[in-house]
Amino acid sequence: MHGPDPAQDRWASGALGQITPHAFLEALPFNAIIVDRAAVVVALNGRAAAFIGYSAATAVGRPAEGLLRVCLERAERQQALGDEPTFEHYFNGTWYIVRVFQISDELRCVAATDVSKRKAEEFEIRENEGRLEEATRIAQLGTFKLMWDSGAMKWSPHMYILHEVSTDTFDPSRDDYLTLVHPEDREIADRMRQDAMSGKPLSGTEYRIMHRDRTVRWIRVDGRVLFDADGAPYGSFGICQDVTDTKNREHELNDLLRRNATLYEALEASPIGVAVLTPEGGPPGFFYLNAEFQRLTLHNGFSLRGQPLEALRPEEAPSAGWRAASAALQASASGSFELTCVRRDSTSFLAQLEIAPVRDFPGRDAIAYVINLRDITVDRQRAEALLQSQKMEALGQLSGGVAHEINNLLQPVIALSELGAALADTDPIKVRRYFEVIGGSGRKARDVVRQVLTFARRDPVQVASHMIAALTSDALDLVANALPPGITVSRNLMFSEARATVNPTQVSQIILNLVKNAADAMDGRGEVTVTLEGLDLDDGAAEALNLAPGQWIKLSVSDQGCGISRETRDRIFEPFFTTKPVGKGTGLGLSVVYSIVTGWGGSVRIDSEVDKGTTAMVYIPADSDTV
Amino acid sequence: MADILLVEDSPEVSMTVREILVGAGHTVVSAETGNEAMVKLKERGFDLIVSDIWMPGMDGIALLKEVRGSGNRVPVIVISGGAPNAPLTYTAPLASTFGANEVIYKPFEKDELLNAVSAVLAA
Repeated sequence: MHGPDPAQDRWASGALGQITPHAFLEALPFNAIIVDRAAVVVALNGRAAAFIGYSAATAVGRPAEGLLRVCLERAERQQALGDEPTFEHYFNGTWYIVRVFQISDELRCVAATDVSKRKAEEFEIRENEGRLEEATRIAQLGTFKLMWDSGAMKWSPHMYILHEVSTDTFDPSRDDYLTLVHPEDREIADRMRQDAMSGKPLSGTEYRIMHRDRTVRWIRVDGRVLFDADGAPYGSFGICQDVTDTKNREHELNDLLRRNATLYEALEASPIGVAVLTPEGGPPGFFYLNAEFQRLTLHNGFSLRGQPLEALRPEEAPSAGWRAASAALQASASGSFELTCVRRDSTSFLAQLEIAPVRDFPGRDAIAYVINLRDITVDRQRAEALLQSQKMEALGQLSGGVAHEINNLLQPVIALSELGAALADTDPIKVRRYFEVIGGSGRKARDVVRQVLTFARRDPVQVASHMIAALTSDALDLVANALPPGITVSRNLMFSEARATVNPTQVSQIILNLVKNAADAMDGRGEVTVTLEGLDLDDGAAEALNLAPGQWIKLSVSDQGCGISRETRDRIFEPFFTTKPVGKGTGLGLSVVYSIVTGWGGSVRIDSEVDKGTTAMVYIPADSDTV
Repeated sequence: MADILLVEDSPEVSMTVREILVGAGHTVVSAETGNEAMVKLKERGFDLIVSDIWMPGMDGIALLKEVRGSGNRVPVIVISGGAPNAPLTYTAPLASTFGANEVIYKPFEKDELLNAVSAVLAA
């Protein structure tokens, strides 16, 4: 098939010609087996004996079998498919690269090179890459590589996961990365890309990306420049991680810090003195004072630090307020106390002090105590001034009323005595009537003056702690004599132990007035019900009744009489206001009740429905812990 | 002799004023409140009204407003003993503002009232 070849001649005539085919075969650095067209082994080198499992002597002249046959058939298959007859083959613990080639028309050579060592290295590299991939996957790190010349971008699989895109829909070399970035952060991401392209290292660039479901994730990118073997930069390599959780925690922490700061500022700005006491293993000591607390006490955080609450107590024997406050603190109870506090400069002020224990869990020991402190010296003075001005106003109203009443009662005294004198001889019957009216007017004027004295008395009435049920019972016994025979009084005085600080005569006056009013409302026939109740009012209940929270005694006097119209109710406590038929009542009864009860710090309410009846309710502040 | 409507809630004063006026030859119709007086004024006319100021229900000032408001020019003498929020001296200007012809203060002498009645009726 080939003509004579000059090179072949040179080969035969030169030094090569001295080498036998056998020597040549032996010198080859791989396993070489030569087979003929019928796949019968023609020759092989020594090393190939191990490859095919026969010695040269036994192999030659035998048809290829075993491994040799497998290799030949595989080569033929590949050739039939148009591929190179070259392949890797693993046999008996060794990796080979096998090539099959024609030597002549008759002969083929199977060349098998042991590549186990290279294979092992390759495997190690691949395993390292695998481990790297695994590590980045566990760390949720994506890696990317950007080639500057082509602009080609290669992403690791996790990059796709991070951005929630698939390799089918997103090609990082072709598609615009910025479409994945949150619109507000595109500028940051774009600058980062330009930096990478111009060879700047990327260090902790953070921006938001948006997934297709519009969830927002925070991404952090770090990167460096890649250099080739000659030290010339050619690309960028970087890692990309999802830092959303870290970011969220950062935000939460910032929020928490901001809230803390706000709370602290709010406490500082509070117009009420606020202090915190903590036990720290012993009795509670001052831990924090806000600005107002410092202003009130002239102390600062250091001068009171660790000191007990009693550092604010005057040196003399503790007042009732201080004893109660100390006891509350010791019992981890809350409470409000009026007491005198000593400032750092030894001056003192009247204070309202509130204690509230702070517990991290209900029922556990208090971990701290919050103290609210107000200077009520001025409040107290104002309240006293207000009370005084109310008294003056009432007095003004009273004097006008008294004048009217007395003037009216003097009218018959003056005019009828003149008329009567002129008629003394001629009309003794008329004169007798005149005298009766004059005498009646005089007695009525006396009653008015007596009531006014009660009402207008400005000296403090002697008060003491009394059991209200006993006083009520005594008063009702007295009143019974003065009531019309058709009136019965029903008593509900079950609540017998409660005490209040009152004057017993005033209690009688209240009951007398209320029961007489009730009897009059029923035209002298019916039942008057007198009820005593103890009330322990929490904030809400107290507010509804317009009273201070705490313990109260409620005295109710009810009738089923004519009731009181709305217009009348508005004026009911005015002195001299009366609805009773002309000639009955002085119009001072309820205003006397009102004056006495408010003097005790109590209050009076009237509930009434026309033609159904009226209930007068007197609220008296109870002595501590008697209700 | 005049036909007089007396408006006064105090029975002692009412009785006394009636005795003075009847003794002087006048006829007197009594009312205890302003409301009652208005009812009587609707029934017929009077030559003169003598009225207290401070009464339960419709008081003397309200009565004056009602009477003058209805265009009635009947002479009115106010008899005042003062009121809780109005000292005696406030009563005269208050009453004249609302159209009283004369104000006299309780307690008054018999002649004080009779002179006032003559003066008002002569005017």
